[in-house]
Amino acid sequence: MPDWRLLVTRRVREISPHETLDPDTVEELAQHLRDRYDELRTGGMPQDAAVEATLQEWADEEWRDAPRRQPPRRPGPATIHDLSSSGSVVTDAWRDVRHGWRLLGRNPGFGATVVLTLAFGIAATTIAFTVINTLLLTPLPVTDADRLVTIGTREPADAGDAGTYLPLSFPNLEDVQGRSTSFQSLAGYAGPFGVTLTDRTPARRIFAELVTATYFDTLGLAPLMGRFMLPGEDDIPGAHPVLVLGHAAWQGRFAGRADILGQTIEINGTAFTVVGIAPPGFKGLDPIFGPDVWIPSMMTPQLVPLERRHWLTDRAALSFSAVGRLRSTVSVDQAAADVTGIAAQLEREFPVANRGRSVSVEPVSRRSLMGISPQMAVLGSFAILTIPGLVLLIACSNVASLVLTRAAARGQEIAVRLSLGAGRSRVLRQLLTEHALLGFLSGAVGLSAAWAGAHLLWSFRPPEYAQNLVDLSVDGSVVVFAIGISVLTTLVFGLAPALHAVRPNLAAALTDDTRTAGHGRRTTRWQQALLVGQVALSLTALATAGVVLQGLQRAYAIDPGFERQQLGVIMLNPGQAGYDDDGAERLYQTIRERVAAVPGVVSVSWASNLPLFTGPSRKIATAGGTPLGSGDGVLTVVNTVDVEYFTTAGVTIGRGRAFDEGDRRDAQPVAIINETLARRYWNGRNPIGDRIALLGDEVPRRIVGIAATVNYDEVGEPPQACVYVPLSQHMTDAVVLYVRTAAEPGPVLATVQREIQRLDDRLDVADARTIQTVLDQALFGRIMGSRLLAVFGFLALALASLGIYGVVAYTVHLRRREMGVRLALGAEPNAVLRLVLRQAFRLVSLGAGVGLVGAIGASAIVSSIVYGVSPVEPVSLVGAAIVLAAVAFVASFLPARAASRLDPVSVLRTH
Amino acid sequence: MNPAKDDREWKKGSAELLILSILEDRSRHGYEIGKLIDTRSAGTLHFRVTSLYPLLYRLEERALVEGRWVEKAGQRRRRYYRLTRTGRALLGRQRRSWKAFVEAVGRVTGIDYA
Repeated sequence: MPDWRLLVTRRVREISPHETLDPDTVEELAQHLRDRYDELRTGGMPQDAAVEATLQEWADEEWRDAPRRQPPRRPGPATIHDLSSSGSVVTDAWRDVRHGWRLLGRNPGFGATVVLTLAFGIAATTIAFTVINTLLLTPLPVTDADRLVTIGTREPADAGDAGTYLPLSFPNLEDVQGRSTSFQSLAGYAGPFGVTLTDRTPARRIFAELVTATYFDTLGLAPLMGRFMLPGEDDIPGAHPVLVLGHAAWQGRFAGRADILGQTIEINGTAFTVVGIAPPGFKGLDPIFGPDVWIPSMMTPQLVPLERRHWLTDRAALSFSAVGRLRSTVSVDQAAADVTGIAAQLEREFPVANRGRSVSVEPVSRRSLMGISPQMAVLGSFAILTIPGLVLLIACSNVASLVLTRAAARGQEIAVRLSLGAGRSRVLRQLLTEHALLGFLSGAVGLSAAWAGAHLLWSFRPPEYAQNLVDLSVDGSVVVFAIGISVLTTLVFGLAPALHAVRPNLAAALTDDTRTAGHGRRTTRWQQALLVGQVALSLTALATAGVVLQGLQRAYAIDPGFERQQLGVIMLNPGQAGYDDDGAERLYQTIRERVAAVPGVVSVSWASNLPLFTGPSRKIATAGGTPLGSGDGVLTVVNTVDVEYFTTAGVTIGRGRAFDEGDRRDAQPVAIINETLARRYWNGRNPIGDRIALLGDEVPRRIVGIAATVNYDEVGEPPQACVYVPLSQHMTDAVVLYVRTAAEPGPVLATVQREIQRLDDRLDVADARTIQTVLDQALFGRIMGSRLLAVFGFLALALASLGIYGVVAYTVHLRRREMGVRLALGAEPNAVLRLVLRQAFRLVSLGAGVGLVGAIGASAIVSSIVYGVSPVEPVSLVGAAIVLAAVAFVASFLPARAASRLDPVSVLRTH
Repeated sequence: MNPAKDDREWKKGSAELLILSILEDRSRHGYEIGKLIDTRSAGTLHFRVTSLYPLLYRLEERALVEGRWVEKAGQRRRRYYRLTRTGRALLGRQRRSWKAFVEAVGRVTGIDYA
């Protein structure tokens, strides 16, 4: 057989010596001749005759005369990807990936849009998961956490609403430790609470946790440096001032100094020796907030405020949480039975303190969030994931829509492949590979964005607490989650369009006529379905954000019962600065006088409680004439307040009187109760003049006044009982200065801080807050939650508006011929505009209808979590619908207007 | 008159229309195009390699058709041509004017095409 390439090259050179053909053209011409020759040979023609006949195909004069040029060379690879199977799945897959990559490179706009849209949704979901992972899923950094249990006191059901989890009293803890046989090791811990570093100027606050010597052994931890406390260092009260420094605190507050071991740190005026550094990553058992230092429980009197100094000896004071490591042969249930038995013994032996009290034993994992039940945690996690999940779904459907549009554009390419003999499954695999590639890229970008976003979120932590707060755990499970979400995403956005694409009408697709093929129409139906979904999802997200915002607004509107404008507070710990009772009393008096003289100050007083941050702490032992058993008394908020407290804080005294200078230490002990408590025990009778005693009080107090019930622990909380006792009769060395001002409290507080510092620079006055700040802090969770929801809601809306725009624009594109005809037949441009808008809004209303149902469902869930929100919030629902309608209008107006401005002549000419 | 030369003149006028028509329903490679014209015209119309390809390249230059190399396993790669949107539009117009032209010729010459 002749070499046809050589023949073509020679002939051309002979005819036109200056012409050189490019190899592709030579190849193509030679191919033609070869085909002809093969055909003739197959027909049975002898070789020589076949060559002869093939050469007839070449006419020199034709070539010479033909006007021609070099065939155009296209930029980039012009070869359609070979979809015949190579026989090896791996080879095919690799080829598909390379091809997919080339396609992306050829259409970077499409790729970037898809990847960014999806990455955005993936990042949002992954950030939410990171938060959940950090708070709920990351196991404690201890050995065999599944063998650890917590032991808590269980109060009788009617004792108050402080939650089911309560610590043990220290004497009970010691008895359980001594009598129980279920544990390898049992430890108690209390805190973390604020203490003052008194060897610094100005004094600074850190957080300490009191632990029994068994604490670190029970958790199975080893020190990074030095040692933990020894049993001998936790046996005599006040005898061994040693501490273990947390790793983050060592790095942060002490600059990681290697020579820190053996040095002393002065806390609350006592010099503590640093004996060891805790391992990195361990911040105590509370999942959110950890201490800077651990101190032996026997140092309790040196660390806690005056009114808690009885902790080590008071069997009624629930002060120490307990954690135990089970013996290898003991189950949680067996341990629970064992400890419950001991609790029953202790109740018999100490009926006054322990009456009605039992214990609960639970795996440590079960109470990873203080006071939040596992069910609530799961529900909360779902709530946290819902909105980003919706955003991701919208992103997916946007991308699916985009992919469908592109599939319609690529219908011909796919049809060519199918017509060239590629199997449908092979083409499907190629398309899925392309989508998987997009999914993988989105996942990678999304995970990086989530990593950055979560760290950004975490960087908003208040710097003074940053090292106490839990570290963000972006660990393997977050990566697995992001990968899982990406795969799921890919399936959601990629599968349907791919299946759809390999099923087109071949002939119609090959002729590339979306107008007649119906392929475009079918694509549009898909997109319309997706659009309805998007509208529904974004309405759900928006309305939910609105519901939470409304709840927040309501929370701010709630009257907490005290002054909300011209009030400031400063935290003060004279005990930690070395003051004894008498010293503190004199100090309070002096400060009150000095501060009252500061310009702008209306009144000033002291109290033990910060507004909105103090829950019920003590039980009523006697109310009226009848002594109550330990189990029967209501758990009540106790606030120790100085004279002028009620006028300064703006709490109304309904009946009786406020405290005055006559309520001295040596005078008749008095108390003021709130209306809730009055109703609880006096039920319409006048309690004034009656007696009341708190558990542990030696002498009952006489009730002199009834104060209005205010919010003590949380904005909008259910009414709680409260007992006020005068500071002069219940000295405490950790107090809050209340300053009522004539105008904005901020500047006045600064003057007051300077005034106190001038009096004694050992006093830490850094923690000063206006009442507005206190309110903001009390509502911090809700503020953050509603902001996040609002951000997500608007992002969902932005994505949906893109989706609406895309679908309407595409529909208009497909129907521009029809529009052109209408316009040519004399339709008003406005009629065309209305036509497009009407059709867009039919979809939008359908989506909104579905979305409203979803929104009501979502609000029902939210209302079970957020206080003050009802399942159906018309304002939020209607508001979200209006916002959505406005956005949908703009998004569909643009393409609609474009349709109404079509030039019928040019449209009809091209069609 | 030289019948071969006649043939060439006719083809010159109709060649574009022929190729565009062949490509109307799917993409094809050059040999296939030539072969189909040959078969469908029962051998009356035949394009040699030296006329077919310059014509194809010219159509491609005018963006009426688009050529792409396609690889298939076990086969040599081939260049497939498909109609572009412009090509398709032109095909429609040429068909109409060709029809009008042929009818006019028929009326003048008395040749009955029916």
